[in-house]
Amino acid sequence: MKAKNQSLQLILLFIGALVFLFPFYYMVMASLQTKPDTTVAGAFPNPANLTGQNYVDINKAINLFSGVLNSGVFTGGVLLGTLVFGVLAGYSLAVMRFRGRGFVFGMMLLVQMVPFQLLMIPLYVMIVRSYGLGDNYLGMILPFAINSTGVFVFRQYFLQLPASMFEAARIDGASEWQILWRIAVPLVRPALVTGALLTFIGPWNEFLWPFLVTKRASMQPLAVSLANYMSTVAASETNPYGAILAGACVLAAPALLLFVFFQKYFVQTDLGSAVKG
Amino acid sequence: MKRNSLKIAAISGALIFAASMAACSSNSPPAGGNAGTTGPIEIWYSNNKAEVTWGKAMVAEWNAAHADQQITAQEIPAGKSSEEVINAAITAGTTPCLIFNTAPVAVPQFQKAGGLVALDTFKDGAAYIQARTGALADQYKSSDGKFYQLPWKSNPVVLFYNKDIFKKAGVDPSQLATQADLLTAARKIKQSGAAQFAMWPSPGSEFYQSWFDFYPFYAAASNGTPLVKDGKSTFNSDAGKQTAEFWKTMYAEGLASKEVYQGDSFADGKAAIAVSGPWAIDYYGDKVNWGTVPVPGLTASDKSYTFSDAKNIGLFSACKNQQTAWDVLKFATSPDQDGKFLKTTGQMPMRSTAVTDYADFFTSKPAYKAFSDQATRTVEVPNVNNAVEVWQTFRDAYSKTVVSGQGTVADMLKTTADKIDQLVAAK
Amino acid sequence: MTTTTAAGPARTRRATGKATGAILGRQPLGLVFVAPYVLYIVLVLAYPLGFAVYMSFHDYFFTAPGVEVPKPFVGMDNFVAILTDPAVARSFLNTLIFLVINVPLTVVLSLVLANALNRVTRLKAFFRVSYYIPYITASVATVAIWLFLFQGSGLINQLLGPLAPNPSWLINESLAMPVIAIYVTWKQLGFFILLYLAALQNIPNELYESASVDGANKRQQFMNITVPGVRSATLLVMVLSTITGANMFTEPYLLTGGGGPNGASASPVYLMYKKGIEQGHPGLAAALGVVLVIGVLAVSLIQRKLVGGEED
Repeated sequence: MKAKNQSLQLILLFIGALVFLFPFYYMVMASLQTKPDTTVAGAFPNPANLTGQNYVDINKAINLFSGVLNSGVFTGGVLLGTLVFGVLAGYSLAVMRFRGRGFVFGMMLLVQMVPFQLLMIPLYVMIVRSYGLGDNYLGMILPFAINSTGVFVFRQYFLQLPASMFEAARIDGASEWQILWRIAVPLVRPALVTGALLTFIGPWNEFLWPFLVTKRASMQPLAVSLANYMSTVAASETNPYGAILAGACVLAAPALLLFVFFQKYFVQTDLGSAVKG
Repeated sequence: MKRNSLKIAAISGALIFAASMAACSSNSPPAGGNAGTTGPIEIWYSNNKAEVTWGKAMVAEWNAAHADQQITAQEIPAGKSSEEVINAAITAGTTPCLIFNTAPVAVPQFQKAGGLVALDTFKDGAAYIQARTGALADQYKSSDGKFYQLPWKSNPVVLFYNKDIFKKAGVDPSQLATQADLLTAARKIKQSGAAQFAMWPSPGSEFYQSWFDFYPFYAAASNGTPLVKDGKSTFNSDAGKQTAEFWKTMYAEGLASKEVYQGDSFADGKAAIAVSGPWAIDYYGDKVNWGTVPVPGLTASDKSYTFSDAKNIGLFSACKNQQTAWDVLKFATSPDQDGKFLKTTGQMPMRSTAVTDYADFFTSKPAYKAFSDQATRTVEVPNVNNAVEVWQTFRDAYSKTVVSGQGTVADMLKTTADKIDQLVAAK
Repeated sequence: MTTTTAAGPARTRRATGKATGAILGRQPLGLVFVAPYVLYIVLVLAYPLGFAVYMSFHDYFFTAPGVEVPKPFVGMDNFVAILTDPAVARSFLNTLIFLVINVPLTVVLSLVLANALNRVTRLKAFFRVSYYIPYITASVATVAIWLFLFQGSGLINQLLGPLAPNPSWLINESLAMPVIAIYVTWKQLGFFILLYLAALQNIPNELYESASVDGANKRQQFMNITVPGVRSATLLVMVLSTITGANMFTEPYLLTGGGGPNGASASPVYLMYKKGIEQGHPGLAAALGVVLVIGVLAVSLIQRKLVGGEED
């Protein structure tokens, strides 16, 4: 009975996984084609039509190394800001009682709902003119420094921890700081990993803001250089499609690797034992 | 209940902040730049490969001769992103001195924002432009009679046709002399199945798409009338009606596709005819066995008009060393540099004597000759207030009636003309 | 060491508890914890946001520094213009169609998949990675795939043959937005599966065990333990997918080349971009943005009422 359910679920999951994987597979396939083949047959590798030329072209056109470095600094800065200050904020909004808590929560919700296009030009003027941070990593990082969605998610998961546990800890004499780092954080590790992985994607794929803020090509993250490459290439290569998809593969690869590496941290210790103990 | 009041508190907090910030923002420093100073400058050019090659060479040549007025150059991507970038840069005062590839349609907006310098402020400004470009230069004057852009290069659009597909369908290029003839040829192509569609201009709804379907045909049909002239729409006319009806029939009979093609439909052999300019010669190269004919008007003519697809150069007010910028501008558009540009990119510099000046280029590359002649008879995007909104309004109505087939052409032209007249008159 | 340091602050806190408690709350340290975040919002986001609200009440125009252009106060004019514009109304309708399809589909699918992923014992890594992939792949690539499937001569129409809709999917006024909704659901699912996966970790296994012992089958366990157990995550998923859906810009733009057939896939943010940046009317764009934010706020509040599940 149990085995049958297991295999049914397994089959369903597998079919689903294929549906999700197919586009990625197709993207890699198409990036390796010499000539674009948009028929159904084109979905299968045709040895006569395979080439790594698209990738060679990309490496010639843009400096992959500096692109990845810049993306790393940009994304790393955002991750740092979110994992440190975001966790603090999420924790305090969930667990601690202080004046103005509701107000901050309201601001956080509001900030999340506002589309970036609405803020773009005043934000640019402020950061470049008033703060003087043009062509500067800080200028790139600042609007994304603490991901409000991350704060929302952290708060959500801290909320799920039983209040009794905190009371017990306080009675035992632990300071709020200790409660946060020694007790609460380890219990929500999956949420933290989730938050980190979700916060990662935004700045990694972000094109417009770093492009606005940096004028020097040497400071541009990978997403920007690739986007530039894609728009130049679309006009003149033999297989513009292939080159564009090769670029997309290059951009997706590090994110994928990171995810594969970190996904095992989703499993965590049993919450029940923490409460009992 | 408590949540609601908190949200109201948050919003009002933002408002209070807004008021105080806005009050502060009005104390901004005056625009940088002095018309007379010389020194190092910054320029941006588009990231078209050939243009970059020319640009780098031009900059190197200038820098070698002017140690104290060095140019730093950078590419910006063309298209949607460049609007955002230039707008943001103007507002922050961080534009470079010169932007090659400034779109004429954006100039009224940049001018209104105070981002552009009138080239007439230089002693030889207007004279230089008139001497180089001739009568065509008048289309690039703003409403105050000054030049806020230097007409730089054009890509007059013509019809590229696929010789192989034509042969298969039994169509001869001489049969494309008028709109009616083109329609017949298109039907023949569809019937023969030689190509998926006779023509495949992008049916997208962006404001600039009309420049590659309606506008060139309207230019030909109306003998070179711009969309708006002297503050009034011109297309609610016979020429406009016939052109719109032509396209409506093309879509209704499935001779043109209603879907956006990812890539180039002509290069991929899916469309028999493309509306393109000389930049496409290198692009189509030997992918397609192509030929060109001018865009047909209502009657056969060998002196037909078309859309210029020009890109110009703007001198921006944030520039500190404007005299150098102007000198570089003259250098980059000198007969020598114009010739180099033509040879490297194949695009037509807007020099009225280009046909004779670069005769040997055209002899060695006869494919471009037709374009140089066509470049003397082009129509530009009208330099009016709210230019972008004008084109968007037109495109929205066109999409609905011509592409999707809803409503009549007569109604569409009348309503749109009224709306556009209002937009042009407004500030 | 722990005892001495712990005793100290605790004693101080309890001693001053009554006094500060009334003014600053029971854990005033919370203010310190949340301060960097608040500082960030104030320094970085409050100004542009406030400015946007300011712009919505003026006939605004972005100018170069030092250039003065009249930007008169126009009261509610921008809002009236926005609310009476048929293109804007259509874009809100499009958003509604999108949300009606996307949100329930997202909630159900991501919970079911997360649950399955949680229970599966083999190939865990493979499955997790495959569901996450569309989310990390850049739009330009996923759009290309989708178009390959759904364009007039695409795979789906070839398979459907005579049943294929005419006009085809993405140029069909009534089908364009639903197709986009399904596309976005598929693309974002990885994100929400992660959220649910994390939430599922918080449901103690004992509950399932004792339910099994009591004779409940898998479905009953799912409906009676899992679903209520992740209720707060469900609210999170609903609110986040609503916000993302309402603020969508790139997907409709890429899939339908702009606003789609007669604006049938134009999103409000796309219109904001057109009016604000392309056409130089940031006041109108700001008004549209304000209306959008208020709309999303309203929908989120309704969702909270429906799902509940938050302590305060």
